[in-house]
Amino acid sequence: MIELKDLTVRFGGVTALDAVSAVFTAPVSGIIGPNGAGKTTTMNVVSGFLPAAGSILYNGEVISRLSPHQRARWGLRRSFQREQIADDLSVIDNLRVMLDTLPGSSSQKRADAENALRVCGLEGRAHTLAATLNTYERRLTDVARCLVGSPKIVMLDEPAGGLTQEETQHLGDLILKIHPLTGASTLLIDHDVDLISRICEQTLVLDFGRRIALGPTQTVLEDPNVQAAYLGMEEVN
Amino acid sequence: MKSKQATFILAMGLACTLVAWGKPLAVIGLFVVSGMAVGSLYALGGVGLVVLYRTTGVLNFASGAMGAAGVMLAWQLGQWGWYEPMTWVAGLALATGLSLFYGRLIAPHLAARDTVVKAVATLGFALIVLGATSFVWDDDVRSFTLPSDQMAIRLLGLRVTVTRLIVFLTTVALVIGIWVYLEHTRMGLQMRALANDRHISSLIGVRILKVETIAWGMAGFIAGFTGLMFGDLVRLEPNIITFVVIPSIAAAICGRLDSLGMVLIGGLFIGVLESLLTLSPWLKSVRTVAPFVVAIAMLVLLQSGNRLLFGRDE
Amino acid sequence: MKPRVTFGTAMLLMAAAAIMAFLPMILGGQWIKILTSAVCFSIAAAGAGFMYARLGMVSLAQVGLMGVGGWVVLRLNHGFDWPFEINLAIAAAVTTVFGWVLALPALRMRGLYLALITLMAASGLEIVFSTFRFPNGGEGFWGVLPSVAAPFRRPLLAQSDADYLRYVIGMLVLGFAVIEWHRQSAPGRAWAMIRRSEAAAMSSGVSVVYYKAWAFGLSGLLAGTAGGLLAGALGLLDPATFRASESIMLFALAVVGGARFWLGAVLAGVLYRVLPGLFNNWGWDADLTLVFFGAALLHALMTAPDGIAGQIHGLLRGRGGQKS
Repeated sequence: MIELKDLTVRFGGVTALDAVSAVFTAPVSGIIGPNGAGKTTTMNVVSGFLPAAGSILYNGEVISRLSPHQRARWGLRRSFQREQIADDLSVIDNLRVMLDTLPGSSSQKRADAENALRVCGLEGRAHTLAATLNTYERRLTDVARCLVGSPKIVMLDEPAGGLTQEETQHLGDLILKIHPLTGASTLLIDHDVDLISRICEQTLVLDFGRRIALGPTQTVLEDPNVQAAYLGMEEVN
Repeated sequence: MKSKQATFILAMGLACTLVAWGKPLAVIGLFVVSGMAVGSLYALGGVGLVVLYRTTGVLNFASGAMGAAGVMLAWQLGQWGWYEPMTWVAGLALATGLSLFYGRLIAPHLAARDTVVKAVATLGFALIVLGATSFVWDDDVRSFTLPSDQMAIRLLGLRVTVTRLIVFLTTVALVIGIWVYLEHTRMGLQMRALANDRHISSLIGVRILKVETIAWGMAGFIAGFTGLMFGDLVRLEPNIITFVVIPSIAAAICGRLDSLGMVLIGGLFIGVLESLLTLSPWLKSVRTVAPFVVAIAMLVLLQSGNRLLFGRDE
Repeated sequence: MKPRVTFGTAMLLMAAAAIMAFLPMILGGQWIKILTSAVCFSIAAAGAGFMYARLGMVSLAQVGLMGVGGWVVLRLNHGFDWPFEINLAIAAAVTTVFGWVLALPALRMRGLYLALITLMAASGLEIVFSTFRFPNGGEGFWGVLPSVAAPFRRPLLAQSDADYLRYVIGMLVLGFAVIEWHRQSAPGRAWAMIRRSEAAAMSSGVSVVYYKAWAFGLSGLLAGTAGGLLAGALGLLDPATFRASESIMLFALAVVGGARFWLGAVLAGVLYRVLPGLFNNWGWDADLTLVFFGAALLHALMTAPDGIAGQIHGLLRGRGGQKS
């Protein structure tokens, strides 16, 4: 269970997040909203990149006092809007960066990495240099990196960006496997509403840094306030 | 941030007081005045660096070398009997010209690279300019003088040469003028827009090329002016003047490569501290390390806020 | 995973062995001295180069740090009776710590600050060296006598100039090996992730400051070793060798030679030490070397980011060779 409590972020005069609170209990939850709503900002706050008021808890354990790299070692995993994998390293070495920071024997870690690659369908590319991968493979590597080392929270920021219909379908199936495989809860930002409705049980909707809805995905999508936010109409009251 | 600035000023004031402790006031006064003149030049150099950096993303290591070339030309023309003010104009023109040359012809090839690479490239240019200047004018003892060196006034019982007075007043005026320019004119606004976000600025119609040209021109002019003044106040040697960019960098760091006010204050303190260290028997031989120590102190102070590198920098 | 010994590595080791065995026999006394000096600077260039190529970190104080290493070796040599290797190890350690003290404040901030701080440090070191000079057998902390220098004890294995050249080449290969070991293990992987972005590194559990400090420490270690070896080669060091402009030029040449490659570091040392000598022979002014190096740096940055070594490797790869 992931809990965000009163997260507030201010840059100069702009309030990017305004006391956002949410409790996520589903294995995969979505975060949606129009552009500039604060979705990526929320993930950046959970990652620890931005100074923010409020706290973040996982199953009652406060993680907001840890520094960003400590959160990752604790079990937070993240992919970015622009995939951030090291071009100079092979696919498997990209995963090993995460594993290097965790305890465990090297054979355990090798097995963990190979397993993650197998689940993502990348086992044949394990020793390929990341610079030579195509967009889909890069996205998959980014996701594979989120699977290693006993993750607790996985955050995916528009992982389907630049992918075809078929690739997005496959990616969705992959995301559904995260909880059964690792026990981690996933937060997913994406603009593809079909993807969100298919795999997210719960969804949080943000607009102008504020939470405007949180609940079962279908209910939230049918909420008139949510539709108004997307269409830019005045709030229906 | 305000408290950090206050801490810095307090620490510097303390350092200066400690160094000057127990010496006769008249002597301290002399060194403070001298230090403020040089310090204001450091500050001006720092301001030039910061304005150019914020507008174009280039930290110009070659500014000292450009100034050195300018003052050497001014000296040479003076030797050939040119009318003195014309020699100054020529020197300023050369420095400005070198800056515009780099900004329009070389910098665009590196526009897409990160700030470290852009700065390192200016190092390459600095080597070229310094090498050329040293080649044309061999090692020799020369001096560059201004008419105002001979004139002096009495200020609070101290004898202050008019040159030092001019340097200090001009520098402060230039810093204030630049600040006003950036805050209150249209071009200044455009320069600040560019500094903030180059890509978006071009989308909303800021003419990047024009704004950058003006920034490089300003930087070159400032480099030329500081070069002339350093040639007069310190020593007329290309190597020395080229590396005077270092205290200017220290002043720029005091302003966090951003705040002109702190650059001015930082530069002045560096100049004064460096000057006062002459009074200390065991530290005076290493007094030119003062800029470095001040810059490190400022960086250590900046640490305690734990700025995370995810903002608009790179 | 075991470290892979590539074709390039094997070539390098064979070439080094051949050079160590035969070169000193062929060359005359003056050239041996020049090459020894060039190899010392290659070690330092390797330190500056890997840090720039792998992490984008710029150190403009590498020659200054060599001066620190050289200073320690000289002081220990004249102050105590320990063997050369001990002095060298201590010098390397002292330089590493010294480098950390200088650089740590800058490591948490934008990469530009490190370049700025190291430039200022180089300038500061220039002043300290020219004021206090290098130990030559005198008393007290600074250990400087006005005239005659006390003798310098070289390593037992390498008393003659020819043997010392071999010793220094061996150290260069050792230096390359240490860097390569790093590259293929956890630090190298962390560095590659930091190069991609600090956010990516932090999200992968990597402490950015820690690994940047590790890299800077390694580069300082190499600089200290290089300086100590230079002291051993010359027996006496001159402040003019360690001016700030020298650090800038060595960095420039590390880039021009090719910061990513071992061959690049070798080229940097050779260009740094051999070219000025050649220019002098041809009657060119020493100042023109500055112009030449500056232009080469600009050219390298704009059009050939992998340097001369990169272009050579590109040619070889076209014929089936591999990058080291």
